[in-house]
Amino acid sequence: MGNCLKRSTTDDISLLRGNDSVRESSSDQLSPPNYQEALPAQQAILPVYHPSPSVTRSVAQLTEEEQVKIAKRIGLIQHLPTGTYDGCKKTRECVICMGEFMVGDALRYLPCMHTYHMKCIDDWLMRSLTCPSCMEPVDAALLTSYETN
Amino acid sequence: MAALPRRIIKETQRLMQEPVPGISAIPDESNARYFHVIVTGPEDSPFEGGLFKLELFLPEDYPMSAPKVRFITKIYHPNIDRLGRICLDILKDKWSPALQIRTVLLSIQALLSAPNPDDPLANDVAELWKVNESEAIRNAKEWTRRYAMDT
Repeated sequence: MGNCLKRSTTDDISLLRGNDSVRESSSDQLSPPNYQEALPAQQAILPVYHPSPSVTRSVAQLTEEEQVKIAKRIGLIQHLPTGTYDGCKKTRECVICMGEFMVGDALRYLPCMHTYHMKCIDDWLMRSLTCPSCMEPVDAALLTSYETN
Repeated sequence: MAALPRRIIKETQRLMQEPVPGISAIPDESNARYFHVIVTGPEDSPFEGGLFKLELFLPEDYPMSAPKVRFITKIYHPNIDRLGRICLDILKDKWSPALQIRTVLLSIQALLSAPNPDDPLANDVAELWKVNESEAIRNAKEWTRRYAMDT
């Protein structure tokens, strides 16, 4: 429960995916990540989004512009590589939750090489597409890595 | 209220075990998200010798959003207004969840050493700081003596 993008809430999905500028065939095959698992049950009923870090809106309150922004963000986050912690990496702690990585934890790797729990960083990236540690914009870095490859 | 996130517990423990020099942050007995803070005025600043009380509150979605911090002690500073509200980028649009209570308070202490009258919150103070810096510094020292030294 608490997954703001769960398939059953088709209204929300169509609201976000309904814009022409955000149709990406590749992202449709991926299941959307869980952004808000940690939310208390009473808040989980209506998904909330953060067009910018300090702004919180329920899905019904989003302007069209904000919907596009968030949909693009979702698409972009899905292009960032993920993995599971195998216990032998240099980074040992997720700076967002300050918890140590445990073997089997789902991780996400940003283009700047900083690594976080997937759940922790996705929650942040849905607010701001910047790396919390180095402030590098994730979208620009992702585009650069596409161009160089 | 929901259980305290592990991160807040960890940060609190570390603040107690390895306190930041010149800064004390003690969680309130009845609310572990509310901290009573004392920052000492930095050396070679007009706030030197002062003890400034602040309050710091960790909102529900911390660390996804910044702590709320406010000066309780009156202070004459271009980036701090009459109500003690602080104009500091990391508390607003430059917040990152990699920052901590510790780094926020260090940044506030640094703001005392480096007032920025070009990005003012207290307009009258900032104006004087720009047109007559020595008088502004005199005022800041006077306020420090009057409000931050009698504890």
